[in-house]
Amino acid sequence: AEVEWRLSHWLPATHPIQPQGIEPWAESIKEASGGRINITIFPAQQLGAAPDHYDMARDGIADVTYVNPGYQAGRFPIASLIEIPFQVTNATDGAAAMHEWYAQYAEKEMPDVKVCMMNPHDPGAFHSKTPIHVPADVSGMNVRPANATIARFVSLLGGSSVQVSAPEAREALSKGVADAMTFPWNSVYLFGIDQILHQHLDMPFYASLQTLLISKASYEALPDDLKTVIDDHCTPEWSKTFSTGWADWEAAGRQKMIDSPDHTLYEPTDDEIALWREAAAPLLDSWKKDVTAKGYDADAIYQSYMDTLEKYGVKY
Amino acid sequence: MSESDFVALGGFVALFALMALRVPIGIAMGLVGVGGFGAIVGWKPALAQLASSPIRTITDYNLSLIPFFILMGVLATNSGMSRELFRSGHAWLKPFRGGLALSTITACAGFAAICGSSVATAATMTKIALPEMRRFGYPDNVATGVVAAGGTLGILIPPSVVLAVYGYITETDVGQLFIAGVVPGLLAVLMYMLTVRIAYGRVLPGGEKFDLREALVSMKKVWAVGLLFVSIIGVIYLGIATPTEAAAVGALLTGIIGVARGRLGRREIIASCTEALRTSVSIYTILIGAMLFGYFLAITQTPQKITAFLVGLDMGAYGTLAIILVFFLVMGCILDAMAMIILLVPIVFPVISQLGFDPIWFGIIIVMTVELGLITPPVGMNVFVINTIARDVSLPTIFGGVLPFVITDVVRLILLILFPAIVMMLPMTMK
Amino acid sequence: MLAALTVVIVASAIGRYGFSTPIPDAFDYSRLLIGAAITWGLASVGFRGSHIKVDLFALMMPPRARRWVDVFAWCVLLFFTVLLCWKMFGRVETTMMNGEGTSDLRMPVWPVMLLIWSGVAAAILTTTAKIVLMAMGYGSLEEHESIDDAAEGASHE
Ligand code: NA
Ligand code: NA
Repeated sequence: AEVEWRLSHWLPATHPIQPQGIEPWAESIKEASGGRINITIFPAQQLGAAPDHYDMARDGIADVTYVNPGYQAGRFPIASLIEIPFQVTNATDGAAAMHEWYAQYAEKEMPDVKVCMMNPHDPGAFHSKTPIHVPADVSGMNVRPANATIARFVSLLGGSSVQVSAPEAREALSKGVADAMTFPWNSVYLFGIDQILHQHLDMPFYASLQTLLISKASYEALPDDLKTVIDDHCTPEWSKTFSTGWADWEAAGRQKMIDSPDHTLYEPTDDEIALWREAAAPLLDSWKKDVTAKGYDADAIYQSYMDTLEKYGVKY
Repeated sequence: MSESDFVALGGFVALFALMALRVPIGIAMGLVGVGGFGAIVGWKPALAQLASSPIRTITDYNLSLIPFFILMGVLATNSGMSRELFRSGHAWLKPFRGGLALSTITACAGFAAICGSSVATAATMTKIALPEMRRFGYPDNVATGVVAAGGTLGILIPPSVVLAVYGYITETDVGQLFIAGVVPGLLAVLMYMLTVRIAYGRVLPGGEKFDLREALVSMKKVWAVGLLFVSIIGVIYLGIATPTEAAAVGALLTGIIGVARGRLGRREIIASCTEALRTSVSIYTILIGAMLFGYFLAITQTPQKITAFLVGLDMGAYGTLAIILVFFLVMGCILDAMAMIILLVPIVFPVISQLGFDPIWFGIIIVMTVELGLITPPVGMNVFVINTIARDVSLPTIFGGVLPFVITDVVRLILLILFPAIVMMLPMTMK
Repeated sequence: MLAALTVVIVASAIGRYGFSTPIPDAFDYSRLLIGAAITWGLASVGFRGSHIKVDLFALMMPPRARRWVDVFAWCVLLFFTVLLCWKMFGRVETTMMNGEGTSDLRMPVWPVMLLIWSGVAAAILTTTAKIVLMAMGYGSLEEHESIDDAAEGASHE
């Protein structure tokens, strides 16, 4: 092909995001460009470590990279708003909303790359050995958090966080080092944790943030007609399409638990939801502080996110 | 062949040329990796790999068990635990013909249970067991051969630095790998003892009178080794702690026991830490190089092509496995055990997975194969180390003495391939 | 100093294991400090010449030729170390500018990064010193320590 691009990500090639997100997207680009753009996928950190994927796009190690900005705590403060709990109800229209919102700031916060898509996973839930209904239930618990923001939330609630990788989580839970974890629904089955944690707080607890980035140098080197092809594949609609396969897969895990006699899902009342929101308020405050420190108008950015979520009907 | 195939081929040629000129293996891999990546992708990205990848490797938590396990082995050596193992083994085994040779093997196994390295096991046992065996008129070839072979138990019986690195590279559970090494390790001890009996039974001195009191008293000194092994392996088997934590605990316990027995002073502890760090550094250097070389291989899609080629040969799973093992045996003639695991496993592992072999089982098989390289000519690290310590025994004598054990090793390898359950029965119970 | 670092790291790992509540940031700091110990160890190994390498062919050469092979090999090592030092400094700089922090307390990471980098810088000096000494005919490369005759080196049996 006229343009050969390398796409690097850090998940196994069998993870739903590759067959259901990345491959159809690359295929569509190939078709739309009349075969002139060919994208080769390098999964499983073959070209570099997961936290280095932003820099890999910047330095041209890969032309397209799949990045979790949360892996470098403190580097992308605006984007980390997405990690704060109880904001978004689903990951499909949610992805489109995040795309539209973050596009306003992408140029500033990620100046070395073209932010092509936003790809949150299906909102994760709180899974535990003993029931968790209200924030006070977390006090004294050891929790394996999904990311640094959740870790801070856990310590706000009086619990302590246990830093282990997702594959190690099962062991930590079974030997009693951890009592609970936050995780998307079907991943609980994928890692065999369904056999240990039987209590589930059924509310869209948190969203994680993944993005697909394109190296600016690679993009600028394209002729105008191919730039248009890429632009057409970096839209809020594509963010939604890209996110749907994985989100549906995770959501299927929730249904499986509802149908299973071994699992108890608890849906909190409105009053309890209010308690949770109240408990999470300090997270938003410290987010505002971080973002203000970097010279941005935190309130305006937050308001814009809320408005966009509202517009797409995904505000929690 | 495409252009990237030529670059890949050139990369391998350059790699072996640099290594032949005594350039450190890790540095050769790193330079060829960066150079090859630069030739295909561009220099700016290639140099950018240097900025991020080495720092990720040396600060990777999953690798930090390496310095701890090495430190533990060095401390154990310096506190004289190997001598106690040997004496106790002899007290029990002396009624048998060739009792000193048999107790050398049990002492090697015991030391292997607290030391992660084969060469260290061979070195320390040479100093202790060789003079004794010579004093009692054991022929040189037998005495050195037993030590060289016994030393290879160091990387099979857990803990094992080589197995830990294999686990890291292939993303296989290190705890399960260690547990999987236990039964094959015991089998090795048994088969080595039989080998002594069958191959050298006629030339070795007969047994002495057994003294139960002496045998029991000798146990008083070796309980520490037992305690260390049980605490490390128990902790890993039961899942109480990660292998990294177990390694740190093991190093600390070994140090405490050494100090309590008055064997380790400030000077010895500092010297041990320094030596352990130096040894760790030479392993990390290879790992850094291997990561950089790996990116170059990924970009040329070499592993995929080799997989496609080998699978396409259509020799059946076991035919392909045989090719891979022979390839490792040949490379074992010039390369260090650790270097082979780091350089070659990433290339053959995709083939192994595609053929449906179990990664834990293959880890044990491949470690036993590189272990053979330690005692086969022309480059056999264990044999060299023994030769450095016992200057008056020639290399051919040692290689000759170790030959029956090489044959036993091959038989054992075939047994484990035919009956994978020998490897898998313990790790299966962990799940 | 290297020894002290190793002991500190062992102790911190023990602490992590001993208390059921993890010490905040022990995870991040212990792995970063091991990184620093490794680069400083690199400086030491560069001087001793005990990297893992293929000694077979060099040992078959006459002493004079072997000396120049050794000098060449260590020049290649020096070249790599200089490249690494240069590129790694850029990495330390970006860590500083981006204000990357540890995962629990968001403590700045860059001071430890600088410590790691300074080990590489020291390795340039020790490797250069080794090359000069070897070229002048003093000392040679040690046969490499495989996983370890470390045991042997420190042994006093
Ligand atoms: Na061992
Ligand atoms: Na060999």
